[in-house]
Amino acid sequence: MIINFKGAKTYIGTGGKSLDNTKKTFCFLHGAGQNHLSFIQQARFFAYKGYSVVVPDMPAHGFSDGNPCKSIKENAEWINDLLVELKLKNVIITGHSQGCLVALELNKIFKYPLEAIIFVAGSNEIPVNQFLLDLSKENPQKASQMMVIWGHGIDGDMSINKWPGHSHYGEGNNIMCMNQPTALNCDLNSCNDYSDGKDATKKIKVPTLAVLAKNDQMTPLKSGLKFVELMENCETHILDCGHFIPSERPLELNSIINSFLSKLE
Amino acid sequence: MSENYKFDTLSLHAGHIPDKETGSRAVPIYQTTSYVFNSTEEAASLYNMEVGGHLYTRISNPTVAALEQRLAALEGGASALACSSGMAAMHLVISAICSSGDHIVASSKMYGANINLLQHTMPRFGVNTDFVNPNDPEAIKKAIKPNTKLVFGEVIGNPGLDIMDVPETAKICNSENIPLVLDATFNTPYLMQPFKHGANIIVHSLTKWLGGHGIAIGGAIVNGGNFDWGDKDKFPTISGPHFALGGISFWEEFGPSALIAKIRAEGMYNFGPSLSPTNAFHLMQGIETLPLRMKKHIENTHSILDFLVNHEMVKWVKHPDLETHPDHEVAKRILPKGSGSIVAFGIKGGREAGKLFIESVQLASHLANVGDAKTLLIHPGSTTHSHLSSEAMKEGGLTDDMIRLSVGLEDINDIKKDFERGFKAVKKLNK
Ligand SMILES: Cc1ncc(COP(=O)(O)O)c(C=O)c1O
Repeated sequence: MIINFKGAKTYIGTGGKSLDNTKKTFCFLHGAGQNHLSFIQQARFFAYKGYSVVVPDMPAHGFSDGNPCKSIKENAEWINDLLVELKLKNVIITGHSQGCLVALELNKIFKYPLEAIIFVAGSNEIPVNQFLLDLSKENPQKASQMMVIWGHGIDGDMSINKWPGHSHYGEGNNIMCMNQPTALNCDLNSCNDYSDGKDATKKIKVPTLAVLAKNDQMTPLKSGLKFVELMENCETHILDCGHFIPSERPLELNSIINSFLSKLE
Repeated sequence: MSENYKFDTLSLHAGHIPDKETGSRAVPIYQTTSYVFNSTEEAASLYNMEVGGHLYTRISNPTVAALEQRLAALEGGASALACSSGMAAMHLVISAICSSGDHIVASSKMYGANINLLQHTMPRFGVNTDFVNPNDPEAIKKAIKPNTKLVFGEVIGNPGLDIMDVPETAKICNSENIPLVLDATFNTPYLMQPFKHGANIIVHSLTKWLGGHGIAIGGAIVNGGNFDWGDKDKFPTISGPHFALGGISFWEEFGPSALIAKIRAEGMYNFGPSLSPTNAFHLMQGIETLPLRMKKHIENTHSILDFLVNHEMVKWVKHPDLETHPDHEVAKRILPKGSGSIVAFGIKGGREAGKLFIESVQLASHLANVGDAKTLLIHPGSTTHSHLSSEAMKEGGLTDDMIRLSVGLEDINDIKKDFERGFKAVKKLNK
């Protein structure tokens, strides 16, 4: 659905069902340079399982207008205000990559306790190398192409896909090209500059799940494993794939999330 | 476009990794119509397009999917769909995008069935086409109307070998927000990748060079993922609500792969031109050697062009790699590796000479196909167009002395010897 939010056209994917704020709501937060299409195989899946689903395109991403947020905290405030605007109370946050950092900050400011936080290919810090930071400013398209290659495991190179006929590279590139050209550089700088992750992680009091990837070159597994150690009882799974777990291992991810949630009931 | 492995490697590997259980190195032929569901929930999630997977072979199949993913990789597209023939591919694209009252701008120099579909069949369903010269971007621009939903052409036209100026046409389509759909059968991704030149959708007859051995009919659509379907009034079938699946908007839910999702959910469901898994396997075997074959096809073509241009029995020779071809400059620019292995030539002595030539050669096969590993010939004047007068043929851009040659992979000296046999017979007749 499209709403006017903070004066800008804002797109929110709802998984093909209408939003019902009386239900438990899955809120998916996309990663750097991505948009709601990162979660193609999660949005409909959980909407059809009876949850309410919101997958916002952050400002200047996907179908949303506006200026890109300039820090992780600004992203979290934007999401916080959106959840308030939509009158959502019982929220399960699922972040992918940068979305995990945003989730850490959101957890500090959202006025209701989150039902759970699910970290996909996440960490408490995402340093970005200077080469990619520079390239994302000078040539965002080229930077996107490189991220799409680094971001996928062997299934990217070999054009293996659980969705018949789809190509991770071709699809991934075009998803990133839908964003405004300045969005990627803003996102990567936000990730690189964020340094409150350790403290924010230690503040988490709600149930957590982490799904990490063995061949993650964007948020390396080593960093993800240190991150989960900062939380008490974070259920952790490691999948054999690259950074883009939601599209590389959709069925495994959905099933891990499902069984995690069933244990909370 | 992201690519790690190079074209030759992708031709062999893309779309398949040996599975852990059997280790099968070749792509297995999943000769099945359907797939056992583990639960009712799993079944529902496939029907609702919540996640990817196979539910019925008319919609998708693992062997066919390996072929599709190989094609998507070779073209640099977001997604692909393989179907029963090149003509099925074209019809699937048109019927997914256009509805009654819509308009198409198409090249006037195309394969007969492509023209017939647009000129005679689609108008019965309220979709009309204006035909324009493919190498005149200005004419293409002028023909675009408010209800134009796509521009269609062949990169290398069959049989006239006209070359579409793809980058210039793409610029026009882009500025008018209309997808450029190209039949890339004659070039294959080895000679030219249309998405790199700004095209949006590719259709292939896999029957020809991609399959390459004349053993299986097949077609494919490759979706560039680079077109914005967001205008709901203009493209209601892609971005507006679908009649099923809870009124899904394919554009909102699948973004770059919206067109392929739409075609699976409507075209494959309701018309059903699916490709058999066994044919998908045969076509993939062909693609494994596409780079090697195309290199040799082009080498042999250049050699036979030399031979024909200098032959006393040949009146004229047409191929875009010849300086005499009107589209030679465009061809050099967009097809630097060569403009395919179809050659047209005129034989001295007119219709009778053409007929005799075809009947006198032994190695080259007289048949109605192109793109086989074997050399093929046809003389339209005594076969497909035999009912037409010389004048009527001329109106259609053909002459009665014309022979269409699809250059194969044989030792080219054997082909030349074979042609000499044909020319000798014609020479006797002319005397
Ligand atoms: C350029 C072109 N496109 C499409 C087709 C149709 O292909 P198929 O026979 O696979 O339907 C042909 C067949 O000759 C062709 O030459």
